[in-house]
Amino acid sequence: MSKRYVMIHDENRCIGCQACSVACRSENGTPEGVSRLQVRVEGPFGDAPHLHFKYNRVSCQQCENAPCVTVCPTGAAYVGDDGLVTIKEDKCVGCMYCVAACPYKVRFMNPETKAADKCNFCKDTRLARGELPACVTVCPTDALTFGDANDPQSDVAKLINTKATYQEKTHLGTQPRVYRIPTKRGGIQS
Amino acid sequence: MIELDRRTFIKGAGAGGATCALATLLPGSLAALEQQPLKAVGKEVASICEMCSTRCPISARVVDGKNVFISGNKEAKSFGGKVCARGGAGHSLLYDPQRIVNPLRRVGERGEGQWEEITWQQAYQTIAKNLNDIKAKHGAEAVAFSSKSGSLSGHLFHLGKAFGSPNSFTHASTCPGGYVIAAKAMFGTKVKRDLGNSKYIINFGHNLYEGINMSETRGMMKAQMEKNAKLVVFEPRFSVVADKADEWFAIRPGTDLAVALALCHVLIEDKLYDHAFIEQHVVGFEAFAEEVKACTPEWAQGVSDVPAKDIRRIAHEYAAHAPHAVVDFGHRATFTPEEFDMRRALFAANVLIGNIERKGGLYLGKKAKTYNKFAGNKVAPTLGKPGVEGLPKPTAKRIDQVDEQYAMMWSSGGIYQTILDATLEAKPYQLKAWVMSRTNPMQTMTDRARVVESLKKLDFVVCCDVYISETAAYADIILPESTYLERDEEIADKSGKNPAYYVRQRVVETIGQTKPSWQIFKELGEEMGLGQFFPWENMESLQLLQVNRDVTLWNTIKEKGYVSYGKPLMLREPSMVAAFTAHYPEAKATDADGTYASAMSFKTPSGKIELSSDKVEKMAAGRGVIKYRPVQLKQADELYFIQGKVAVHTNGATHNIPMLANLMSDNGVWIHPLTAGKLGISSGDKIRLSSSVGSEEGTALVTPGIRQDTVFAYMGFGSKNKELARATGKGIHCGNLLPHQTAPICGMNIHTTGITLAKI
Amino acid sequence: MNNTWGDMAQYDPVTWNWIIAVYLFMAGLSAGSILIGIGLRWYSKDKSIESAILKAAAIISPVAISLGLACLVFDLTKPFHFWLILINYNLSSVMSIGVLALLAYSPIGIAYSLIVLRDELPKWKLGFLVPLAHALMPFRKAIEVVLFVLAIGVGAYTGFLISAMNAYPMLNTAVLPALFLVSGLSAGAAANAIGALVMFNTSSHDATLGKMHGLELPVMLSEMMFLFMLFCALYFKGGAAAAALASLTTGVWASVFWIGVVGIGFAIPLLSMLMPAQTRHTKGVMIAVACCSLTGVLALRHFVLYAGQSYIS
Repeated sequence: MSKRYVMIHDENRCIGCQACSVACRSENGTPEGVSRLQVRVEGPFGDAPHLHFKYNRVSCQQCENAPCVTVCPTGAAYVGDDGLVTIKEDKCVGCMYCVAACPYKVRFMNPETKAADKCNFCKDTRLARGELPACVTVCPTDALTFGDANDPQSDVAKLINTKATYQEKTHLGTQPRVYRIPTKRGGIQS
Repeated sequence: MIELDRRTFIKGAGAGGATCALATLLPGSLAALEQQPLKAVGKEVASICEMCSTRCPISARVVDGKNVFISGNKEAKSFGGKVCARGGAGHSLLYDPQRIVNPLRRVGERGEGQWEEITWQQAYQTIAKNLNDIKAKHGAEAVAFSSKSGSLSGHLFHLGKAFGSPNSFTHASTCPGGYVIAAKAMFGTKVKRDLGNSKYIINFGHNLYEGINMSETRGMMKAQMEKNAKLVVFEPRFSVVADKADEWFAIRPGTDLAVALALCHVLIEDKLYDHAFIEQHVVGFEAFAEEVKACTPEWAQGVSDVPAKDIRRIAHEYAAHAPHAVVDFGHRATFTPEEFDMRRALFAANVLIGNIERKGGLYLGKKAKTYNKFAGNKVAPTLGKPGVEGLPKPTAKRIDQVDEQYAMMWSSGGIYQTILDATLEAKPYQLKAWVMSRTNPMQTMTDRARVVESLKKLDFVVCCDVYISETAAYADIILPESTYLERDEEIADKSGKNPAYYVRQRVVETIGQTKPSWQIFKELGEEMGLGQFFPWENMESLQLLQVNRDVTLWNTIKEKGYVSYGKPLMLREPSMVAAFTAHYPEAKATDADGTYASAMSFKTPSGKIELSSDKVEKMAAGRGVIKYRPVQLKQADELYFIQGKVAVHTNGATHNIPMLANLMSDNGVWIHPLTAGKLGISSGDKIRLSSSVGSEEGTALVTPGIRQDTVFAYMGFGSKNKELARATGKGIHCGNLLPHQTAPICGMNIHTTGITLAKI
Repeated sequence: MNNTWGDMAQYDPVTWNWIIAVYLFMAGLSAGSILIGIGLRWYSKDKSIESAILKAAAIISPVAISLGLACLVFDLTKPFHFWLILINYNLSSVMSIGVLALLAYSPIGIAYSLIVLRDELPKWKLGFLVPLAHALMPFRKAIEVVLFVLAIGVGAYTGFLISAMNAYPMLNTAVLPALFLVSGLSAGAAANAIGALVMFNTSSHDATLGKMHGLELPVMLSEMMFLFMLFCALYFKGGAAAAALASLTTGVWASVFWIGVVGIGFAIPLLSMLMPAQTRHTKGVMIAVACCSLTGVLALRHFVLYAGQSYIS
């Protein structure tokens, strides 16, 4: 069976500490001023004292139906055999159509390569070495889970089957592979 | 003299010898060095982080010959192989072009930013001559030595001792000293919290989800997510911990003591406390119970704004989960001048439910010696210490030794801020020189203007650091220390419920002319004619001395980076004691109830937990019993000004590190919408904060996550020296707004004050 | 909460800037200009005469598309690798299809211009191209039809290019290609008028010019209708789409819309029709009104591109 790599971000566990973002930058050599991954602590929302933050992981959603791949004129943005939305740097001319078309605004022009860039679940670096993505590796509170959702024994499959999750902007038909476990308002329950 | 790293040294344009004010072309900075590929010592090296004072075990990897990826060391289970943003950004410090990699001498006025590069030899000679002259004229005690606590302070303080000065200080009184001294008074030693196994956690603004302490942060999350623990947070602002809490109460700043005493009141009056535990292990209960009789929840509500019915309910819920419940005693202190009693009251709430040495409660560290005694077996090796004989005995008193009430602090890092009094007012005598290592009082001590005045007045100032910090900017000589990724250091004790050791090891070869502090202070000592007090040759010889020449042990520790021995043990937890005795047949016999409760001993005068302390009463009359005293932290027309930690920075140390500066370089000031509305302030507006000692310009962040009478800012921003190019002038400088005030008994300097706010 | 996650510049939803707006404008102008030129020729009685309008279109159309493509290429982060886009195709990408259309449109457009301008070429020291123009003459009808179809494609393509991005409710509408095509016609007519009046010194009472003038009102009315439809669609869709209507009332792009698109682009040309005939048909007024139309179309491209990208669903 083909692989279906997914990532699950548990917003109850996430503390917005940016360890993931720093690890990502280190592993992938992302230049200053641009990011493959940010976790934004948004809010607080609600009325005091019933306030809450939203811990918003901002990174490539690895859409099954990726607008960036559809619009790319040269095929530089493509879906690899592993199902991951990937970029062939030397095929990219830098028209920024993919950057504009991404509903999640997570693609950017890498100022060093001049090609489009984004999170690829550390496909070239850590996955290639059989390791977990950098963000998952360092996350202090184990808020991130990564794996093959097609494997029913994987942690991600179990989580998706047992926890309420949501994906962002599904109304656009993108079918993102980043799942989120929403914060329980007014405290944590597992 | 040893010159270990003699390399080709190519100076950047205009840098050599001449003075240069531009930080990017700062003489002695890494930018002035020719770029060269770095040699990795190994592919994955286990070491210890130094991006904050928690010092987590790490594993560092060299990628593509240069870039170091840092994760946690998986050998250390409670750390989970994890690392925070600061820890992960270590290599960003390592390769920062603004790092100082050559000794520097000041050539302009102090703080003017005019530097020239000198050799180590010149630096040592200058320092030796100046310090020895001062010693000859004014006595060794006229020189103060201060350092961030940890592996570095040992070597600097050893030099201070060899030199003959009693005046050595850590940053304790500006940071964690309060709970340390309170614990010392009550338990005779530091205590640890077992958050991970707790079922009910009461937290008084211990911001573990932003001020990350990896094992504790993970512990609290584990308790919340996997054990369904309830978390109650009392904090004036809506922090990340408050967000993750089941209940958040926006307590009035500095009134935690009232709520803690009210909790104790309910526990005692409603007979919810562990009577047997108190009988067996505690002294001073009656006096304490008498004192808190008046501390009703209704009274506490008036002081703290926390509803009485909630305090009552929480006390009952807390007791219902006893003994697997805990009141977190916090970390960074100084919310109030009543710091000492506040921390003692938090400890008292734990003692009352008898959670000491119980899962989810408080416990004492089990170092090898203690652990082996219980096991009846040498389960864990003990470390040897390098004995140095004939160290001079200082004749003078410490400068903070003016008032007996601070006696417990003298051996716990001292009252750091007394350096200012001794310098400016010759209290109790005149200080002439200050030697610092990796400490930044300009940021972390209160009343920045007074720190500047002191640094300007001293005859001689030496700073050892990795950057020209705000403090180092006022030094005469700057000694460039290697970053932790280039240093080997002594094996350190990391024992918790069972013994553990870990070690810092170099990950890459040294860059530039930097040196580790053990080497700097040994070589400086030799230059000062104190060579006989530094009998070890190098770090390797020191480590071998520690492991008592057991090379196998040495190699194991170095290879794994972190080793632990035995099973976790809490003396009063029956299941753990049973597992322990089953595993170690020669283990000490248990009590009738299957625990080691009777073997529990405390290093207090009574040998028991001292809820009230005669020792403290003798040090300061009227302070033996924990007591509420009203304090005035601000004027009626002012707002409380409080600070806190953010996950991406360490107070006063990391704000210039590229990766971290890029994440956050400004500290927008939290203001409640109604407070802001009255002053016509909107988010993003330029504002001015004025206190009794200073005034700062900042940016407003209007948010409902703060009390109306309070403003909040993250600590450590707004550096004022031009050398820290990425951090300078960004955000407000908290230390510049805080007046100089010292808390009784613990000697902490207080970090809550009143300010007025205006739109610019 | 303070920003602890770093630089947000890359997340600015406005990815494509004014250079792309100018490209969209130029492509629309090029297509509109030649469509009007050819269309009027088909409706003219004497097909042997090259009208000043057609000659103007024959110049404006290739020049506009060249300038537009230059904008496009130099907006690439790797402008010197633009050839990659010519050898790699992804037919699910509107841009790729557009490249194919432009690859055909540009040379055919130039060929057609040579035919139309065959008598003018010697005046511009381009006499050496006359034999080529004559050689192409037998294929004029075929070239004309193909170019007409391609021009409709190019005109609509610029709309499809941005309407294919489904995250932007204002862009992701069916009327956008039609709106761009019609406003391209508007721009083309205006540019052709200026070209004819200035370059070929046409009388302001020229018959073809008059015919083209007659087209302006219906074109402008359909442009307004499409705009109205666009906003209605957003309004009735609700949610993020309705939120995008805020672009009409807030920010700099609201001013661009009301002053540039409505005021200069629609109101001035419409009001000019109320002027007495002799004033209205003076050269100066005609050029001024045409300039207003062009400005309005350029403003529309800017408004749609910027406001469209500013509101993401």
